[in-house]
Amino acid sequence: MSVYLAVVRRILSMIVTLIGVSIIIFIVLRLLPGNAVQASLGVSEGLLTHAQIAALDKYYGVGQPAVQQYFSWLHATLTGNLGVSLVSRSAVSTLIGTALPVTLELAFFAMLIGVLIGVGFGMWSGLHPGRWQDDLGQGVSVVGLAIPTFILGTLLVVFMASKFHYFPSSLPFVGIATNPWLNFQQIIFPALVLSLGIGAAILRTTRAAVLEVENLNFARTALGKGVSRRAFIWRHLFLNSLTAVLTMSGIQFGYLLGGTVIIEQIFILPGMGRLLITSITNRDFPVVQSVTLIFAAGFVIVNMLVDLCYALIDPRTRKR
Amino acid sequence: MSIDATSSPLDTVLGVDQELVVRHRGWVGAVWHSRNGRLGMIIVGVILVAGIFGLAGLTPYAPDAQYPNAALKGLSWAHLMGTDQYGRDVFSNALQGLGVSLEIAFLSVLIAGVIGTLGGIVAGFLGKWTSAVIMRFTDMLFAIPTVLFALAIVTALGPSILDSSIAIGVGWVPIFVRVVRSPVLALRESDFVRAGRVLGYSRLRLLFRHILPNVTGVIAVQTSLALAWAILAEASLSFLGLGPPPPTASLGEMVADSSSLASVAWWTLAGPSLVIVLAVIGFNFLGDGLRDASDPRTRTRS
Repeated sequence: MSVYLAVVRRILSMIVTLIGVSIIIFIVLRLLPGNAVQASLGVSEGLLTHAQIAALDKYYGVGQPAVQQYFSWLHATLTGNLGVSLVSRSAVSTLIGTALPVTLELAFFAMLIGVLIGVGFGMWSGLHPGRWQDDLGQGVSVVGLAIPTFILGTLLVVFMASKFHYFPSSLPFVGIATNPWLNFQQIIFPALVLSLGIGAAILRTTRAAVLEVENLNFARTALGKGVSRRAFIWRHLFLNSLTAVLTMSGIQFGYLLGGTVIIEQIFILPGMGRLLITSITNRDFPVVQSVTLIFAAGFVIVNMLVDLCYALIDPRTRKR
Repeated sequence: MSIDATSSPLDTVLGVDQELVVRHRGWVGAVWHSRNGRLGMIIVGVILVAGIFGLAGLTPYAPDAQYPNAALKGLSWAHLMGTDQYGRDVFSNALQGLGVSLEIAFLSVLIAGVIGTLGGIVAGFLGKWTSAVIMRFTDMLFAIPTVLFALAIVTALGPSILDSSIAIGVGWVPIFVRVVRSPVLALRESDFVRAGRVLGYSRLRLLFRHILPNVTGVIAVQTSLALAWAILAEASLSFLGLGPPPPTASLGEMVADSSSLASVAWWTLAGPSLVIVLAVIGFNFLGDGLRDASDPRTRTRS
C-alpha cells in the first residue's frame, strides 16, 4: 500500500517539476530582453506580409499578458500542437518525429557502453585496490573525465579520416530499419565518444561503493562463512553497490543529453541536438522551445524512473 | 603510509588532525599539503598567468595577424604551437582564447556563487516554507541539463561575454544552493548558534558572522569545481559557434576550426585542446585539494 502511495507521490512531484521547467523555459525564451519571438520574426520581416505577421503574432500571443501566453502555449503543447518551424515551414512535431529516434538510439548505446565500462572497470578496480588493475581503472577515469567530449570527438573524426578515409559526412544517415549494419557503423563511434565520460563517472562511483561494501560486517561474514568468490562478488558486492551506480547513471543522463548536442554536430547525425543548434543559429524559436522542453522532460522522467527503481533493487526502501 | 618530505614528523605520529593542520599552515599551506592540491595550485597558477598575458595582449604575435608565408608551420621556438592555414600563431590565439575563457568562467561562477550561496543559506536557515519554495525551484532549474540551459539563454540574450557568463552561471546555481544548504541546516542546530540566539543576536548577525564563515570551505571547493566546469561549458558553446563573436579568439572555436586541418597539421588541434584540458584538470585538482584541506575524512594521504 505505502509503496503505491510513494509511487503516486513521486509521479505527482515529477509533474510539478515539469510544469516548473516549462515555466522557466517560457520565461527564458519569451520574456527576457530581446524577446525571442520578435527577434525570430525580425529575421524574416521583409518576406512576410502584414497579415502573416499578424497571424504569427496571434499564434504566439504577442501583446497578450504573459500568463495568458503561457497557458495558450501549454494548452497547444499538451494537445500535440508544437507549432510550425519559422525556417522550414514544417510542423515542429514532424521535425522532432524524425530527429528523436536518432538521439534515442545514440543515447541508448552511449549509456549502455558507459555503464558496461563503468561497472566493469569499477568493480575490477575496487576488487584490487592499490594494484595495477586499480591504476588502470583510475587512468581510464581521469582520461574520461578530463578530456571534453568535443575534443575527443574531433580527435576521433580526424583520426578516422586520415587513417581509414572515413568521413561522417560521406553518407547520409540511415535509420536502423533500413540498414541495421550501416546504421550501427554510423552510431557506434559517436556513442563510444559519449560513453567515455559517463563510464568514467560511473567507474568512480562503482569503485567507491565496492570498497565501502567490502568492509561492511555482512560482507566479511559472508566471506567468513565460505561463500564462493563469484557469489560474493555478484550477490554481495554488485547488488549492494547498484543503488549508488543507478543514482550516478541518472545524473549522467543529463550530461549525456548535453553531450548529444555536441556529438551530433561533430558526426553530422540528424538528431535532436543538431536540430537544436540549427534552430538556434536560425533563431527558429518554436523549434528551440520544444526541443529544450523535450530534453528536460526526458531528464526528469529518467530520474523519476531511477527513484522508482530503488524500490525494486533495495528491499529496505520497500518497507516504508 | 610512506613519509614524504613535506609532512612534518608530528603529523605522521599523530595521524594528522586536519583542523590543526589548517590552523597551523593556513589555507594555502593545507592545500599545498595534499598531492592533488599542490598539482592543482601549480597548474592553475600557470593557467592564470597565461590567461592574464592573453587578456593584456602580451602575446608573441597579434592573435589575428596573418602571415601567409608562415602558414601551417609545425612546432618551433618561433611558434610554440605552430601556425594555422593563414599563418596565425596558434600559441598567441590560445593565450587570448584562454584569457576570454577565464574571464567568462570567473564572471559566471561569481554569478552562480553569489546567487547560489545566498539561496542555500536562506533555504537552510529560514523557516520550512521559504526552504521548501527555494528547494522546489532549485529542483526545477536542476532538471534542465546545464549545457542545454546555457544554449537556451544564449539564444535569448546573444553571445557577448556578459551574456555567455549569465548563460553558464545560471545552470550552476542549483548546485551551489544544494551544497551550501546542508551544512547550514546542521550549523543552525549547533550549540554555538543556539547560544547566539539565546544571547539575542539578530538573524543577519548569526548568518553572516557565525554561519557563513563555517561554510567557506564548502564554497571554496565548489567554486573551484565550478570554474573547471565553466571553462568546459564556455569551450563547448564556442565550439558550437555560440561563443563571443569572431575577432576574439576562443578555444572551442579553434578546436572546431582545426577539425578539417588536423590531419595535415595536428598542432592546430593539439594546442587549444591541451590548454582546455590543462585548465579543466587544474581547477579540478585544486578543488580536490581544497576538499582534502577542509574535510579530513576524504583526505587522500600521499
